[in-house]
Amino acid sequence: MYGDLGIKLVQHAKRTQNLAHLPPYQAELVRAVTREVRDLNKDVDDLLEPFQGSFDPAEDQAVAYTLLVNHISMRRNKRCLLAYHRTRTDKLEELVWNGADVIDLSGQQVRDGGASGSKGVASGDGSTSSLSPQEEDYVRQYGDLLAAYKGQWTDIDLTGSLEPPRDLFIDVRVLKDAGEIQTEYGAITLTKNSQFYVRQGDVERLIAQGYLQKLS
Amino acid sequence: MDIDDILREVDPASHGIPLETRDLQALTRLWVAERSAPELLNWPADGLFERVNSKIKSQIEKIEDMTGDMDPKTNFALIVIQTELERYKFLVRSYLRTRIAKIDKHTLHYLSTEELRQRLSPTELAYATRHQALLHNHYLSSFLSSFPQRLQNLNDTAGNVSMIDSPDLDTAVFVRLLREKDVFGRGTDSDTILPAANGDVLIMRWSSAKALVENGDAELV
Repeated sequence: MYGDLGIKLVQHAKRTQNLAHLPPYQAELVRAVTREVRDLNKDVDDLLEPFQGSFDPAEDQAVAYTLLVNHISMRRNKRCLLAYHRTRTDKLEELVWNGADVIDLSGQQVRDGGASGSKGVASGDGSTSSLSPQEEDYVRQYGDLLAAYKGQWTDIDLTGSLEPPRDLFIDVRVLKDAGEIQTEYGAITLTKNSQFYVRQGDVERLIAQGYLQKLS
Repeated sequence: MDIDDILREVDPASHGIPLETRDLQALTRLWVAERSAPELLNWPADGLFERVNSKIKSQIEKIEDMTGDMDPKTNFALIVIQTELERYKFLVRSYLRTRIAKIDKHTLHYLSTEELRQRLSPTELAYATRHQALLHNHYLSSFLSSFPQRLQNLNDTAGNVSMIDSPDLDTAVFVRLLREKDVFGRGTDSDTILPAANGDVLIMRWSSAKALVENGDAELV
């Protein structure tokens, strides 16, 4: 039935919206829907061929309706595809804004495959393996674009926290060894399970990357 | 010297407030308005952000100068300045992010007419154009290229449904009146004209409130 595959894509997209990670790219479905569109278009061409461009809908209503249904199905499929891809790119952009790196993610993926189960819940787990090659390209280019835009506002750090700052200093607990960091008050060595009272601006990145946890 | 200058001197609100404070007020207002308006508002044209940027830079330099000093008194001042700087930066960041979020949501809409493009700052315009190109490329390489030629557009208006999504201008907003005025509001069943005093807070459609805000009769809250 026309459009059955399209709705599946939309359902996938809808599900993606509520998930923390990105489910695998439905390459098979996308191909099938695209094929449906091509087939429909071929049907339309075949139907119109005998008329040689002088088709009159009022004269041949049966054909006219077939054409209409085909046409609408094609458009609908296109919308479904667009919606599906847009939802995914939105999700990917969110990951880019949060500082996830494609290279990082794929690295994580490889480690995951090797030693299964020996890792925590970092953001964007396993998303790279579920990206299509085009999406990986997109993420890379979007990352460049974002970096270029951020370059105009070097002092602001656009990807910083969107919570209004309350205190200059915060308590943090170290979740993963992060090595030594330099602050205005000297170097701090962040070892796992230790607790520090530090300036928020210094450690914002590390919190976003999951190395530190903010204690309230 | 004309009448406006004389009034300004008498008016306590604008007299004696240094430029820095006025810039901060302007920034805060812009931020509040941008966050509550459903569509993108105009980018401030009077060089506000250049001033803000240079202020932030000079504060950062000041902090760097002061950190060497171990005197407890400077230390306290340092914390105050740093806190203020963080807040200032938050304002700018939140403002820019709000705008980017709006632009990302309706990129084609804001790029479609010259008038709408005027609302973006040059960097935002560059960002939006590039982002849209990236998206289009991504669609093309993912599936659109195998579509029949006439279905490859992203801005069809066939069947009276435009593919370009635009923001809903009828969303409700809260406005505070800055001067006494009869406010015209479009309603679902009937339109109303409501006499309102300075300082009144009204809830109305953005499409009705827009003119008021642009004329400075009201501000978004």
